[in-house]
Amino acid sequence: MSELPLQSTQPMLEAVNLTKRYEDGVLALDRVSFQVRAGEIFAMLGGNGAGKTTTINLFLNFIEPTEGEARINGIVTHLEPLKAKEQIAFVSENVMLYANFTAIQNLDFFARLGGQTHYTRDDYHNVLLRVGLAKEAHHKRLRGYSKGMRQKCGIAIAILKNAPAILLDEPTSGLDPKAGHDFIELLASLRAEGKAILMSTHDIFRAKEIADSVAIMNDGKIIMQRPAAALVDTDLEQLYMQYMAGRSSELVG
Amino acid sequence: MLSVLIQKELKAIILSPKFTATFIICSLLMLLSVYIGIQEYQNSVKQYDAGKQLIDEGIREATSWHSVRYRAYRAPDPMQIFVSGLNYDIGRWSAINSQSMVKLRNSSYTDDPIFAVFRFIDFTFIVLVVLSLFAIMFTYDAVNGEREDGTLKLVFANSVPRARYILAKCIGGWLGLVVPICLPILLSILLVQLFGIPLSADNWLRLATLIAAAIAFFTFFIILGVLISAMTKRSSVSFLLALVAWIVFVLIIPRAGVIVAGQILPVPSTAEVEGQVQSFSRDRWATFYTAQEERWRERSLHNNQSEGDLSAVEEEKLWKYMEEDDAARKAVQQEIDEFDRKLNDDLRHRRTAQERLAFSLSRISPASAFQLAAMDLAGSDIALKSRNEQAMDLYRTEYTQFVQAKQAESGPGGGAFTIQIDTEKGVSIGTPRDQAAVDATQLPVFVPPTFSFSDAAATFLLDLGLLLIFSIVAFGGAFAAFLRYDVR
Repeated sequence: MSELPLQSTQPMLEAVNLTKRYEDGVLALDRVSFQVRAGEIFAMLGGNGAGKTTTINLFLNFIEPTEGEARINGIVTHLEPLKAKEQIAFVSENVMLYANFTAIQNLDFFARLGGQTHYTRDDYHNVLLRVGLAKEAHHKRLRGYSKGMRQKCGIAIAILKNAPAILLDEPTSGLDPKAGHDFIELLASLRAEGKAILMSTHDIFRAKEIADSVAIMNDGKIIMQRPAAALVDTDLEQLYMQYMAGRSSELVG
Repeated sequence: MLSVLIQKELKAIILSPKFTATFIICSLLMLLSVYIGIQEYQNSVKQYDAGKQLIDEGIREATSWHSVRYRAYRAPDPMQIFVSGLNYDIGRWSAINSQSMVKLRNSSYTDDPIFAVFRFIDFTFIVLVVLSLFAIMFTYDAVNGEREDGTLKLVFANSVPRARYILAKCIGGWLGLVVPICLPILLSILLVQLFGIPLSADNWLRLATLIAAAIAFFTFFIILGVLISAMTKRSSVSFLLALVAWIVFVLIIPRAGVIVAGQILPVPSTAEVEGQVQSFSRDRWATFYTAQEERWRERSLHNNQSEGDLSAVEEEKLWKYMEEDDAARKAVQQEIDEFDRKLNDDLRHRRTAQERLAFSLSRISPASAFQLAAMDLAGSDIALKSRNEQAMDLYRTEYTQFVQAKQAESGPGGGAFTIQIDTEKGVSIGTPRDQAAVDATQLPVFVPPTFSFSDAAATFLLDLGLLLIFSIVAFGGAFAAFLRYDVR
């Protein structure tokens, strides 16, 4: 189990001039830099193709950077991917688990895969209850689960890994307002536990509601990055639209 | 971690809905095939015993060694229950006599042609066709299916080495498919025991190695499915590729090997060889009859008789002439036999060379390697016919020498008799000497060739080695493909 550096000043997640150019020449990420400390939520806002998912994929070492590096608790992901992945939990946009397994079986598999072999059945039930999944669903196969239910399972898996950092790729996409609200509350509790959370989202309101820092991305670049405290009196949607429009006029110009 | 991944694979296979259906179908097919195999084997034993009994009765009833007719029967082998091979295609018996060469006649399909239309599906066929398809259909989406489902990303968000993941896919798939398949195999063996089929220690050894070969073959297709799924991103593409690979390995390469070998080393057909023998035989007999006619003409003249008139020739002299003719006839027959033997030896050699080439070429496919290994182990391989014919041929020599010696003891026979017409004594029909009683116990007994594990070991080990190499190569390919696999 990884230790949570609650008071650490060292960033838990760090992107340093992170750049990704694909073989076909497309520049997906252009010198992106940011830091997320323990007990912080960093939200990346942006449209489709802005580079949010690419950033997360680089942290997960699903792809390697062309330049720069992604670091997790100081570990460069593309140099020591296995060690780096011990420090992170991941929840994808559309959590897809093993459809023929029950929630408990999925949790058991992913927990043990993440090196957490000490959990009992009760632990699995408790964590599922914590994320809001009713007990009668725990032994049902995931084939019949809604997206929201699968998302809850995904969060439960991330919690069970007990990693110091969590990567969330558009986690509230497709969730109903109640599920979205519950999810935000859960994120707040994870932050309170000292987790460093990097979240990509389209949801400006949720981002403002929960994030400690917000970055707006477009065309593979961070075009705005501010602490949430600086956005308290700002209409983030308007700001987002302004940045997007500015970027668009720049492109037109 | 490896065990966690393996357990997950096992669970995923066993919990998948297609597993239950496929497992039930395979189990039923296997049990049914073994049941039919048992029935066929029991029929073969009955036919074998009845044939032998018929021969024994014939010999007992024979009044002279000239009238003894013998047939050598091919003995059934319990391994034919599992691997029918060529067992039902080649003849069950051959006539044994000095006049004709050994030739196996009357295969099971000759007696019951309907079985040739709907051929008996044996254990080997099920492994070769059904289980290989079963394996590939379960693993064609092992990797890309997880990618499509989105679980691959989640798995690799953990510190999972790729080598371990692909190894777990193969081991998990293997355990998930091989272990359940062992159940109907064990039940099939139990069925054989229930029907009281006698299995010797050698049979058990051969059966155990046959199962090992089946598992090695099955393993290749499991890994092949993983390889294809690790080479493609979409399961629809890998499904098609897997199907094509299966068709190529199971259906095309084994047959292509035979066709190519036939082109490289052509062999005349049996009909052509028989035609040549018949033509030679016709010429030789024509020459013989002309010479015989000439001899009789000369004999008539020599005895101061008009041409063709031998009425005044002494009986002893007449028998002498007949013996001379018989010797000449035998010499011609020997000459024809020699020619026949030479042509057949040549045919056999050419066939052997062609078979070797065909088998070597077709061994590119694991399906051929398995099929050849199975037939070698069961003794129902391509050599089944020649093995039996050679044993029968050796027996024929022994038998012919024995019978000829006995015939010589009892004097000319085989239908030779004299008719004397005397104006005083009337008509009298006589054989030269009294017939000796036939003592069947003196006749050498044909012992069918025995076939044991050691006879098959060399070729079997080659094929088993090939199967293992194929699996290792497929695993190497899957590993290499997955190292570069985009898990997103």
